[in-house]
Amino acid sequence: MNEALTLDGVAKRFSGHTAVDDLSLAVPIGTIYGILGPNGAGKSTTLRMVMNIIARDQGRISLLGADPAADPKILRRVGFLPEERGVYRKMKVTDVIVFFAELKGVDRRKARADAGQWLERMGLGDWAQAKVETLSKGMQQKVQFIATVIHDPDLLILDEPQSGLDPVNQEVLRDTMLGARDRGKTVIFSTHNMEQAEQLCESVCIIAQGKKILDGRVRDVKRENVGNRWYLEFDPATEAARAFAAGESRFGAFTPHGEGWRLEMDPAADPRALLQALAGLDATVVRFEREQKSLHEIFIDRVGGAVTPSRRPEVAHV
Amino acid sequence: MSEVMTVFRREFLERVRSKAFVIGTILFPIFMAAMWIIPAKMGGGGGTRHLVLVDQAPAGVGQAVMQNLTAPAPAGSDDDERVTFTVDRVAQPLAQVKAGLIGRVQRKEIDGYLYLPPDVVQSSQAEYRARNVANFAVLSAVQRAATQAVQAARLQAAGLDGAQVASLVKRVEVGTGRITDKGEEGGSATSTFFLGYIVGFLVYLMILLYGMNVLRSVLEEKTNKIAEVIVSSMKASHLMLGKILGVGAVALLQVAIWGAMMGFTMSRSDTLTKRFGMPPGALDVVHVPVFTLVAVLGFFVLGFLLYAALYAALGAAVNSEQEAQQFQMAVMMPLIIPMALVFRIVSDPLGPVATVLGMIPFTAPVTMAMRVASAPVPPVQIVASLALLAGTVLAVAWIAGKIYRVGILSTGKKPTLKELGQWLRMA
Repeated sequence: MNEALTLDGVAKRFSGHTAVDDLSLAVPIGTIYGILGPNGAGKSTTLRMVMNIIARDQGRISLLGADPAADPKILRRVGFLPEERGVYRKMKVTDVIVFFAELKGVDRRKARADAGQWLERMGLGDWAQAKVETLSKGMQQKVQFIATVIHDPDLLILDEPQSGLDPVNQEVLRDTMLGARDRGKTVIFSTHNMEQAEQLCESVCIIAQGKKILDGRVRDVKRENVGNRWYLEFDPATEAARAFAAGESRFGAFTPHGEGWRLEMDPAADPRALLQALAGLDATVVRFEREQKSLHEIFIDRVGGAVTPSRRPEVAHV
Repeated sequence: MSEVMTVFRREFLERVRSKAFVIGTILFPIFMAAMWIIPAKMGGGGGTRHLVLVDQAPAGVGQAVMQNLTAPAPAGSDDDERVTFTVDRVAQPLAQVKAGLIGRVQRKEIDGYLYLPPDVVQSSQAEYRARNVANFAVLSAVQRAATQAVQAARLQAAGLDGAQVASLVKRVEVGTGRITDKGEEGGSATSTFFLGYIVGFLVYLMILLYGMNVLRSVLEEKTNKIAEVIVSSMKASHLMLGKILGVGAVALLQVAIWGAMMGFTMSRSDTLTKRFGMPPGALDVVHVPVFTLVAVLGFFVLGFLLYAALYAALGAAVNSEQEAQQFQMAVMMPLIIPMALVFRIVSDPLGPVATVLGMIPFTAPVTMAMRVASAPVPPVQIVASLALLAGTVLAVAWIAGKIYRVGILSTGKKPTLKELGQWLRMA
């Protein structure tokens, strides 16, 4: 088993609309995996099906080698952070964490010790005996995050973990996710922030309106969707260079971009010919490269800008 | 099942450690004791009143009134309720002394004055002025004293002996007492009623309070999405079970603490009654036979389980306390019925209304608590009612569990009845 999670043709319909449509994906063990998409794309519904919170209508799910619907015990090895946050407000911070650890079968004494360590690490050491309601919202989110990871799960499933966190705490979260991966754990998280996902994830799955747009390793996705956009920069940008960019039309149209020019190259044109032409100019080329598209641009290319979020399910049925 | 224990532990400890529990546990008995002691101490009056008698009446009448007012209590009467008087007599016309008397009342030197006009024997009119004329015990004592004196004067005028007539028309006092299976026991009609009412009220209050606790706890987990995290570790039905048992254990603990307090009070009842100036035996009302205690406890526990399951399902089906309020009345209704009919039930605990309500599982807990506390209910009825109640608890818990399972994970608008039906089939 090399996958922490596989989905095969999974679908979920709510009265009248399809939230998740024939979704298949595979999450390799020991990686950070992003499920990306705009609001209402079906990210949460997918994760809730994986967690057996709602029942799927069709398809197969294999979570750490077992079907969570048939074998819910497997969920004990998972740490789940739901999209909408909340912990028991009247409880003491440590007690909340220990409670969730115990539910996952961790010995109370060990849970207490681990909770102390986590609180120190997250900068909440002084708040261990405080009531949750006295904490700021960001601190409460940290407490909930600790409650999610306290039983050292093999797989972390985090639904929009970044939302509501300030930049400092986003950094803390990022480090924790990377740390978990480095210890051989798998992390799956959903986000609509493609930039962050691009920095963090080895692999991604982009969905929109319940359908998968693409998935795979970020490196592969970028290579396959590289396009034919080039960037050209002279230093200094001499008269000849500027005349070339304005008048040359064999390769496509140059548009000024930053210090240099961008070129959407004609598919028929040969980059080597362009390089030769540049060599003959009275100007020094300092940058000539094929630009990589960001995940966001790839997403826009594939889906088009006008993605309307589909209706939220009103009542989620089991 | 270890998760059930974890949930149970959390529900129990969080509640028991809360200030609300500590305060409620201590304040409630103080409140109840106050209800007992304060009226005994001051409500009925008791104590001494200082009056001035403005006597313009024919010779002898004024002295008779004074004698009647200051006469020692007849043996065996209820000392505590009795008002005693000290009376000064003045013989001047009212107009001369009125201003001075009013001043003395205002300065609290005296409590009031009684004016007997010259024609009191014919007109039957006297005047009583005091700071407080609403005290029934004082007023009736004054009235009785004046009436007896005037009557005696009239009888004498008619040639009859007052004492002889009084003994001829003496009122009959009807004593009360309960007959239970153990034979005759003391206790007045009021104290029996009181016990039935208090026990019924307590069972009602505890079921309601702790049922609401379950509702709020379910709602918290649902709205915070904590439920989603918990059910990924355990079955929803186990969560509900642990929650209800945990809250129920808190209720039982509170009852046990109150029971211990009461036991302590009973063991010193003589000292306490003296200390607080209550009549001896005033606390005997709370001497409850063990069998009654066990039966009441049984109805309380099963009643709590029944309503806790209903409240859990309600909490899971709605999205906020406001939404829950709309439906709470429906859940509470059967609980309220016996409270509304408490006079009917306690005054005739073996009658048809009490018997029928005692057999319907939803009204049984409160009704039966009232009945067994106030009368020897046939054991067959108790056992039958308990059995019916237990069966209903199982059935309701089963249905509530299904609604709960779907409800705590649902989001968005509250379900219609039709959707609730779907949930039942689905789960």
